[in-house]
Amino acid sequence: MWDMDLSVFKNALSAVLVALCGVVGCTNGLPPEPPRTLQIQQTWELKPGDTLAGHRIIGGLGDISIALSGDKTLYAPLDGRLQPHSPDCVIFSSEELPIYLFRLCGVQNPHWGQIRSREKLGTANILNLAVLNRLSDGKWAFVEPSKQIIEQMLQPPNTAFMPTP
Amino acid sequence: MFLNQLPKIAKQKLEPMLVGGFLLAAASLMLFSLSEPTARVRPVNPALFCEEMVLPKAQLSGEQLAKLLTVPEPAARTKVQEILKQPYCRLPSLSVRVGAITDRDAYPLAFDPQTWLVVLYEGENYVGYGFKRF
Repeated sequence: MWDMDLSVFKNALSAVLVALCGVVGCTNGLPPEPPRTLQIQQTWELKPGDTLAGHRIIGGLGDISIALSGDKTLYAPLDGRLQPHSPDCVIFSSEELPIYLFRLCGVQNPHWGQIRSREKLGTANILNLAVLNRLSDGKWAFVEPSKQIIEQMLQPPNTAFMPTP
Repeated sequence: MFLNQLPKIAKQKLEPMLVGGFLLAAASLMLFSLSEPTARVRPVNPALFCEEMVLPKAQLSGEQLAKLLTVPEPAARTKVQEILKQPYCRLPSLSVRVGAITDRDAYPLAFDPQTWLVVLYEGENYVGYGFKRF
């Protein structure tokens, strides 16, 4: 009898929590992702987010610009975390690969927080992608991204290289 | 006479308190488990992230970890491998930047098996480490 009462209580509580999340827009009750800040070694004069002659800069030196076709979806290249960075850009990082960061500018509908490998990161019409490498002083430097890692972000899971059998 | 009645009165008041206390405890336990589902300990399934098993008995001691943390990055791959010995498994190697392949060895921590150390090498260099939580 106790078991039945408790399960009813638990279901009712879950329903209330789900309803609350629907109203206030929470994700599993977790707090929103904090922005990721970083210091880039190369200090270019123009960066994404800057304005010049009244026009917005959406990419910079060190970015690869990609016009996405099809369903315009981006995928996580490995297990990691997506965090806000600036009004136009987000940062994808991974505890399995902490010496690199992926700066993605132009991402829409970002899936903030922990993301499993090959899950959706968001969508983009024009993606400006930069790969940053951690230096010994803690700053980050632009490096040339490999075709393989970019492909893993662009190809849906069934056609892309699968890292685990 | 009064003394004889005291335990009975106490017993009568105690029962609803016990039931109420039990309900409160059960409710708070359930609230806790609902709000923090990741806090529960789950067995780690290495097959989900390992590409190649090396030494399934391998575990990293606190002493080995402390030694690793004193090694500056980059360092010689052999120097770090001497400290850490054989890994539990290898994660898939990655090509992130042109001209470099990142090899990744993984070790469960002996004092916290839900946390794994991932050690990164590029060529003959040790280039960094990270902790993967399960």
